[in-house]
Amino acid sequence: MHSVWTRIVCLLCCVSTGLLALQALRADDQEFAPTELEFFEKKIRPILAEHCYSCHSAEAKKIQASLLVDSRAALIAGGDSGEAITPGDPDSSLLIEAVKYESYEMPPKGKLSSEDIQALEDWVRMGAPWPQEEAPTADAVQPKFDLESRRSEHWVWQPIHAPEIPKVDRESWPNNSIDHFILSRLEDADLQPAGDANRSALIRRLYFDLIGLPPTPEEVAAFVNDKSPQAVEDLVDQLLASPHFGERWGRHWLDLVRYAESRGHEFDNDAPNAFQYRDYIIRALNSDIPHDQLIREHIAGDLLPNPRLNPDKGFNESILGTGFWFLGEWVHSPVDIRKDESDRFDNMIDVMSKAFLGMTVSCARCHDHKFDAISTADYYSLSGFLESSDYRQVRFESIEHNRIVAEKLAQLDADYQEKIENELRTRNLAKPTSKPVDSSLQHLVVLDYGNVSSSEFMQDGFIYGARPKRAGEFYWSDEGGELSLRMCTEDAAISDPIWNELESVWEKGVHNKSRLVTFPRSGRTLRTPTFAVTDGNVACRVRGEGHVVACVDSHRLIAGPLHGVTIAKIKPGSEWTHLNLQRYVGHRIHLEFTPSEGKQLQVSLVTRGATPEQRQELGRRFSDQLTAEQVAAVESFLDEDVSDLIANWKTEREHLQSQIMTRSQLAMAMMDGTGEDGRILIRGNSSKPGDQVPRHFLTAVNGGEVMEIPIGSGRLELAEKINAADNPLTARVAVNRIWHFLMGRGIVPTTDDFGVLGERPTHPELLDHLAVKFVNDGRSIKKLIREIVLSRVYQLDCVPVAESLRADPKNQMWHFRPPKRLEGEVIRDAILSISGRLDPTLYGEPVPVHLTPFMDGRGRPKNSGPLDGDGRRSIYVAVRRNFLSPFMLTFDTPAPFSTMGRRNVSNVPAQSLILMNDPFVVEQSKLWAQRAIEENDSMDSRLDWLYQTAFSRSSNAREREVAMEFLTASNSSGGDVMSEQTAWEDFAHALMNTKEFIFLR
Amino acid sequence: MLLQCASGFGAVALAGLASSPAFGNILEGGDELGRADHGPHHEVRAKNVIFLYMDGGPSQIDTFDPKPMLDKYNGKDPSRLFEVEPTQFNNNGNVLASPWKFQQHGESGIPVSSLFPNVAECVDELAVIRSMVSEFPEHTFANYFLHTGSGLQGRPSMGAWVNYGLGSECQNLPGFVVLNGGLIPPGGLDCFGSGFLPASYQGSVFKPSGSGVANIERTESTSDQQRSKLDLIDRLDQLVIDQYGYHDSLESAIKNYELAYAMQMAVPEVMSLSDEPEHLQRMYGMESEYEPTRIYAAQCLIARRMVEKGVRFIELTCPNVGGDRWDQHGKLKQGHENNARAVDQPIAALLKDLRQRGMLDETLVVWAGEFGRTPFAQGKDGRDHNPFGFSVWMAGGGVRPGSIYGATDDWGYKAIENRAEIHDLHATMLHLMGVDHTRSTFRFGGRDMRLTDVKGHVIHDVIA
Repeated sequence: MHSVWTRIVCLLCCVSTGLLALQALRADDQEFAPTELEFFEKKIRPILAEHCYSCHSAEAKKIQASLLVDSRAALIAGGDSGEAITPGDPDSSLLIEAVKYESYEMPPKGKLSSEDIQALEDWVRMGAPWPQEEAPTADAVQPKFDLESRRSEHWVWQPIHAPEIPKVDRESWPNNSIDHFILSRLEDADLQPAGDANRSALIRRLYFDLIGLPPTPEEVAAFVNDKSPQAVEDLVDQLLASPHFGERWGRHWLDLVRYAESRGHEFDNDAPNAFQYRDYIIRALNSDIPHDQLIREHIAGDLLPNPRLNPDKGFNESILGTGFWFLGEWVHSPVDIRKDESDRFDNMIDVMSKAFLGMTVSCARCHDHKFDAISTADYYSLSGFLESSDYRQVRFESIEHNRIVAEKLAQLDADYQEKIENELRTRNLAKPTSKPVDSSLQHLVVLDYGNVSSSEFMQDGFIYGARPKRAGEFYWSDEGGELSLRMCTEDAAISDPIWNELESVWEKGVHNKSRLVTFPRSGRTLRTPTFAVTDGNVACRVRGEGHVVACVDSHRLIAGPLHGVTIAKIKPGSEWTHLNLQRYVGHRIHLEFTPSEGKQLQVSLVTRGATPEQRQELGRRFSDQLTAEQVAAVESFLDEDVSDLIANWKTEREHLQSQIMTRSQLAMAMMDGTGEDGRILIRGNSSKPGDQVPRHFLTAVNGGEVMEIPIGSGRLELAEKINAADNPLTARVAVNRIWHFLMGRGIVPTTDDFGVLGERPTHPELLDHLAVKFVNDGRSIKKLIREIVLSRVYQLDCVPVAESLRADPKNQMWHFRPPKRLEGEVIRDAILSISGRLDPTLYGEPVPVHLTPFMDGRGRPKNSGPLDGDGRRSIYVAVRRNFLSPFMLTFDTPAPFSTMGRRNVSNVPAQSLILMNDPFVVEQSKLWAQRAIEENDSMDSRLDWLYQTAFSRSSNAREREVAMEFLTASNSSGGDVMSEQTAWEDFAHALMNTKEFIFLR
Repeated sequence: MLLQCASGFGAVALAGLASSPAFGNILEGGDELGRADHGPHHEVRAKNVIFLYMDGGPSQIDTFDPKPMLDKYNGKDPSRLFEVEPTQFNNNGNVLASPWKFQQHGESGIPVSSLFPNVAECVDELAVIRSMVSEFPEHTFANYFLHTGSGLQGRPSMGAWVNYGLGSECQNLPGFVVLNGGLIPPGGLDCFGSGFLPASYQGSVFKPSGSGVANIERTESTSDQQRSKLDLIDRLDQLVIDQYGYHDSLESAIKNYELAYAMQMAVPEVMSLSDEPEHLQRMYGMESEYEPTRIYAAQCLIARRMVEKGVRFIELTCPNVGGDRWDQHGKLKQGHENNARAVDQPIAALLKDLRQRGMLDETLVVWAGEFGRTPFAQGKDGRDHNPFGFSVWMAGGGVRPGSIYGATDDWGYKAIENRAEIHDLHATMLHLMGVDHTRSTFRFGGRDMRLTDVKGHVIHDVIA
């Protein structure tokens, strides 16, 4: 429906613009007859006043859609959707359409009576008579959106300058430059900082903050006894080098990108191989990949001329970063497929802009941003990058290796092609030649693989070679079982059987109803340029066996009842494969061709709106070029004259074939499509497209400069803008996030919103100092972490100086270090660690989430995961959108729907109930108690070991007393060995429930 | 930097509980700008809500919106009679008259179909809205939309908003309970999530039998053993606390253990239906021969008991009647009959019981599906999804009893008079609870978010 309306609305707009000029001229000096004016006053003005003025007049509290209907001029000028009336022509007037509920439905509360509608139509037909009067002045007219003044007034758009390091009186206090910024503020306010944290508190803080696991008693002892001045630095370096660092900080990063391994919505389908992204980010953080490179890889890792290769395995790491775009919710069978796309894009833009820019660009989806210097045009310029890009499951392990093989193959084939053609020429044998499509049929042809530019020839993988084959060229085929060389009878993109052994490895997964995963497509798919469905009758001239998929509005979760028609089987023997895309007229699509396993495809033409006769005519283009004798001559030439040459070619190809990396794991990744600019959707409504906006970066940063995009989506260029030295956002946002994760509160507390509604930095100079330092240090995340944790302010005690607390109770100036409640993941990991159950294995497919009877609903996995998650760290436990771990949710692990750089920290009895009654906690506390008993002989040493493992400190005398009282009282009640064990178990369980276990000093 | 959070046990396990200022559930790092202008903002008509969620989309033209034109044009091609919008299954059949007879009931004379003989007896309590519209013809979008005001996953559910705005009146039970009769709606537990609100506002999923909710049963073999463990925890905490200095967060975390203990006692009590007199159990349908009726009866009875304890928002999901929820794409007659049979008697009993106890005036009961169904068939004997016009009703809690608001067209297809959007329903529910929907906001991602997004109007005509 929408597509039809869109066209009509657009059409109307065009028509009415033309008419408007005439009408407007007439309107100026037009005098209306008194009867006409009376009709207006009696019939029309009351309707407008009663039903429309509350939203569309000067007296409205808030003017909707920028439309006023309280003056004739205002009606002609119209609102967001263009002219509201075309005087004289009710059929072209949006107002009439709207009251008839044909496109807009106005008034929204209920349709007007048919007499009223008739009256309005009559009135417009009369030329919209209206008496000469002053248009009411609108008090409520919204102030015009002024991007430049907003840009100049808000701090974050101003360039980053390296501030001078402030002088302090207590010069011995600072550990490093950070402390100068902190202390100078404290001294100005005459506040005393707290003392330093003791060694045991500090090691615990460092372990949890840097690797998310508690230190062992041995590690604590070594650190506490290390008197060297380098002790802290050494410890920090050791933790930064730990492989567990990436797990801890990877989880922070996953919060930014709404990481999940299923799609949510109704059936919670798999987001296949999402875990590859999770592992990528862990590896990247462990290797301290510079932040700008990470951003580059996230935005455009598939487009890097020199992708980063995994140092051990040689695979393409960079391309894995683009998986982040696709970690969102996906729906199946949307009735309004275009709206599905605009919602998905909105989430992608939202996450990208919050995570990297700290800007809520998505707030400009329906209107210019209410507060920030971001226009709707800025928003839709970003959606253009996404419209120009596609999703795929990339064979990331083999892609770079096979790229080289493919290049060699292309060269080899070209060489032999030339040799054989030379032979052919010397014998003066005839061969078919390329012929352009007959001009009378040209309008039906969307795509002709005999006539595509290199940028239009797009594929995921290499099987279609470096370019389409032309008629008369040779190609290899194993149709019929035996590999042989054949001559192309027409221009076509032809898959090469040399790649037939490709095998793609999927994760095991839970369930995926998508029909697109039922045949192997990765690395084997030809993608057409994007085109508009102006006629639903789309046909492909393609021979062989396989599938063609029409990708409409980038929707890819094809799982009935709708949209099954976008997939068609290519049947052997048929020349044309037909797609009935009537439903999608007005939409933009592209096609994807994939051969069945072991089969070959030859894709020649795509037509739109061609009759069977016209298609037949198109198919005849190449036939009859050679006589039967000429064909026989070529065949005998191949069989006899050049058989040696062909045998050599074959041998050399076999050699190359042996170099192909056939097996590869898959991961979600982007792929470039046809570069296209997006359209503004009026009021965010996907069925009301407005002007096209060229792709560009935020106007407030780049002054609206149109990006030079030589080819494709332009994401690589976008990434460079985001990373550019003159972009004031990215570095500030990054360093603030790191500060937040370490200190518990960002310098800008609203880590995902640096806009007007966000909070202001508590220490703006420190923020810029860190940003400059970060950039100068090559945007190394580890270096910045090191700098912060080695500062004195990081190492402060959690007990504030009383007077300072009175003066600054919110600790805005950082005079002490408030206790931090550990996150759910960290609590669980700590429990596993001390119970001895922790399996420190890195990476891999997710461990199925444990399902309680209360976790119910569609898409529930058939099998529950183990209660203890196989002892794996929490980051490896499956994140299924509709079946999130209750433990994690209760401790504020965010539901994965948007960027969540700052988690809630709630404090509720349900947390106590979990730690008290959850079978996992109880089970682990028993294991922990058993360890205490087994590894220690005396009561004292057991007690001490429990304290050391849980809190990185010894128990004090009072604690021992209380413990002994509990243990002996419990003992005396039963008296046998079991009850001694039970007593220890109860005691251990109690320790896990003390606040010290979950609050970091 | 304290943010008073109300309660909520949490989606799947118990997540939270009532707070009073003394206990100060704390949201650390919450920015003050994000603080809501907490209610109540005006007179409170409804203290509690029981939301009878009719999962799958009951048909308006077979329940509360009779359309004689359908009888007249039964079997005719709908596209010759009116404009047919795209449907979820794209398998549109002919105009399909209702297989059920309508009759006027009560003093108000509101017509109800023979699907609801018991609810029909209470019709003078109902405010029927016949002009409801949704924005989505697909279950999951529409479910999220009805529950959270957004078609996409991840927003706070209305029960979470209500508790965020008003806090809980009950110390020992969560403020937002989902009594799961068996069918978690498409979209899953996120229909009851807290979104960007703190986890404590999540709906706690209860089963209407057994221990009720996860992690509520102690694991120690005796209650003495648990008590002594709790005492030990408290003593050990007190020994450490001064090493931290005084922090509200630690104090509250310590006190949470006493609250949790009280919850452990309170949950079994509220779940224990054997306290209820036998005639009342019979009235609700606890002795029905139809199992889904017995399940829903228990849900309704527990809901009433929870209201008595001060639980702010209770949602009931449908029991499984074997075929499907109210989602009859085929076999309309059998499917709607089974679904109605499961809920009719318990709902009527609930309304009567609440009335008799004098509780109905302060308890808002809402009966709604996520959309309605098409007046034309899907295939031969089903109906497809219809978000363009459908019926919901409210009772008690300050609504105008025995009233009808809005109308659909002659076919019962599209709302044409007094269209009521889901945002309007939310605004009205909040209004009845004393909350101005435009003022109950939470700052997230640079916006002051609300249940009604940027929309919603209170429907004053359905308020008494």
